[in-house]
Amino acid sequence: MKVFTTILILIGFAFIGASFIVIAKHKTTPLKFIVPKGWPKPEYNFKKNPLTVEGFELGKKLFYDERLSKDSTISCGSCHQQFGAFATYDHNLSHGFNNSLTNRNAPALQNLAWQKEFMLDGGINHLDVQPLAPISAENEMAETIENVINKIQKDTAYRRMYKAAFGDETVNTQRTMKALSQFMLMLVSSNSKYDRVQRGEDSFNLPQRLGYEIFQQKCVSCHKPPFFTDFTYRNNGMPLDKTLNDVGRMLITRNANDSLKFRVPSLRNVMLTFPYGHDGRFFGLSNVFDHYRTKMQPIATTDSLLKNKLYLSNFQIGQLTAFLYTLTDSSFIKNPLFAPPGYYTTPFIHNH
Amino acid sequence: MKNQVLKLLFIVVSGFTSTTTIAQGNLEIEFKHIVGKQPLVLFDSLYTNNFNEPFVVNKLKYYISNITIYNNQIKTVKNGYYLIDASNSSTHLINIIASTKNIDAIEFTIGVDSLKNTEGVQTGALDPMNGMFWTWNSGYIFAKLEGQSDSSKAASNYFTYHIGGYKNNENALQNIHLKINQPITNTKKIIIDVNVLKWFDGATPLRIAETQICHQPGKLAQQIAKNYASMFSIATVEE
Repeated sequence: MKVFTTILILIGFAFIGASFIVIAKHKTTPLKFIVPKGWPKPEYNFKKNPLTVEGFELGKKLFYDERLSKDSTISCGSCHQQFGAFATYDHNLSHGFNNSLTNRNAPALQNLAWQKEFMLDGGINHLDVQPLAPISAENEMAETIENVINKIQKDTAYRRMYKAAFGDETVNTQRTMKALSQFMLMLVSSNSKYDRVQRGEDSFNLPQRLGYEIFQQKCVSCHKPPFFTDFTYRNNGMPLDKTLNDVGRMLITRNANDSLKFRVPSLRNVMLTFPYGHDGRFFGLSNVFDHYRTKMQPIATTDSLLKNKLYLSNFQIGQLTAFLYTLTDSSFIKNPLFAPPGYYTTPFIHNH
Repeated sequence: MKNQVLKLLFIVVSGFTSTTTIAQGNLEIEFKHIVGKQPLVLFDSLYTNNFNEPFVVNKLKYYISNITIYNNQIKTVKNGYYLIDASNSSTHLINIIASTKNIDAIEFTIGVDSLKNTEGVQTGALDPMNGMFWTWNSGYIFAKLEGQSDSSKAASNYFTYHIGGYKNNENALQNIHLKINQPITNTKKIIIDVNVLKWFDGATPLRIAETQICHQPGKLAQQIAKNYASMFSIATVEE
C-alpha cells in the first residue's frame, strides 16, 4: 500500500520537476523599449514579439549578414548604413544583385516602432513582413525566402542563437523576421540637438532659432514633429521620371488620385540622408529648396498646400538649413549597440 | 485503498489526455483535381477550355480555411489554414474531428481572412516561404493557377493567375457552401471535385488570349475569384 502511495508521490514530484526544467531551459533577458518623453504610443505590438537581448542580437546578426542575398554580397546593412542614419549614404538609388539598381532611394531606418506602413508607397502593412520584400526583389538581394532559411539552418552559430532567442533551434521565416524586427525596433533616434532643446537641456543659436520659426510656418504641416513626417502620402510636384515610371502610392491603391504620391519622409538626420526625393534626384538640400520654390510642376494630384509652390527667400533657406542641422542625432549614428556584431562603430560596408 | 489510488491515477491521467464526451469522429476531406472530366496531370496533359483554347497546367495552389461541417443540429467549425497544392498529394487530404452523423453540408473559405493578412509574419501553412505571399504589397495570394497555352501572348506562352486581396474594395475571399444531397449515417470521408475549367467560366469569362496575367488584387482578381468559387462540387460521400 505504502509502496503505491510513494510511487504516486514520486510521479508527482517528477512532473513538477520536469515542468521546472522546461521553464528553466529557456531563459531570455528582456530588453526594455523606451518611449521618449512626450512621444505617442508605438504602433508596433510588442506583446506579440517581446524584445529580448537574445532576439535583438540575432536580429543584428541577420541584419548585417550578406548571406541573406543570392550571391552573398548584400546585407540589409549594405543599403541601410548606420553612418547614414540607416539610409544609403551618397547614393541616389541603391545597388542590388548583379549590377542592378533599385527604383527608389533607400529610406533611413529610424523610429520604425511608430510606423504603420512601410516603403515609400506604403505597400507593406507590418514591420515583420517588410524584410521579405528587399530579400526577394530581383534588383535588391534577389534571394528566395526558402534559400535564406536553408542557409541559416546549416549554420551552427545561428542555430544556437535561435535557441537562445526562441527556446529551440527551429529556424523559420516567422522567427527570422521577428528577430530582424527586434533589431530595427531599437533604432530610435530621439537625441538630436532639436530634442535636447525640447527637453530644455540645450538652446538654439540665432540662425537655428530663426530657421525653426520658418520651419513651423512653411514645413511643419507635413513634416510633423516628433517624427518630422505625418506618415501621409503626398505628391509634392516632382514630375514622373520616364525611365523609372514610378507612380508611387498608386501602385498599391490603383487609384488615379494617388498618382505620384509618396510618403512624406522624416527629416530626422536629414543632413545624412542625401540625395533626396523618392528616387534620389535631388543631390543636396539646395536642389530640394529650388524644387519647392521654382522648379515644382504641380498637377491634379499635387498636394493642395503646394498648388502655388512654396516660396522661400535665400535668407529663409539659410536659416532653415541651420535648423535642419539640429536634427542630426550623432548618438544614434555612433551607438555601438547598432554596429555589426564584433564592431564598436559601423565600418564602411559597401561592396559595390 | 488500492482502488482509491487507481481512481486518483485515472483522474490524473485523464486530465492529461483531455478526453471529450461529445460523439465525434474522424472525418477525411479529399480534394480531387480534375479538368472537365479528365484528372489533372500537371505539365503533361493538354486540356481545352470552353473557348477552344488549349492549355497545360503547371501549378495549382489555393488556401482553404474556416472549414465548417453541418448536420441536422450540430455545426463543427475547424479553425486553421490549409494550403492545397496540386503537385503534392499529401496536401489533398484534410483530417478533422467532427460530428460525423448525417453530415448534410460542408462550408469553407478560399483564401485568408484580413486579420492574418495584417498581423505580421505567420508560420505553418501561412509561412511566406510557401510562395503565396505578395511581399511588395503585403497580402496572401489566395489561389494560383499557372500554365502554358498557345493562345497566350505572354513570354513562353505562359499564363499566371495569382488571386488575392483582403481590403474592403478588393476583397477576393470566397465562401463555398456544398450541400450533400443524400447524407449517410456515419460519414467518414467527403470527396470534393475541384474542376480547373471553372477558372475560365462564370460571370466574367476568362480567355487566355485576352488575359495572361493577374498579379495583384483588384477587379480582375475579384472576377477570377468569383469564377473559381464554382470549381468545387461534392463527388462522393463515404462511410
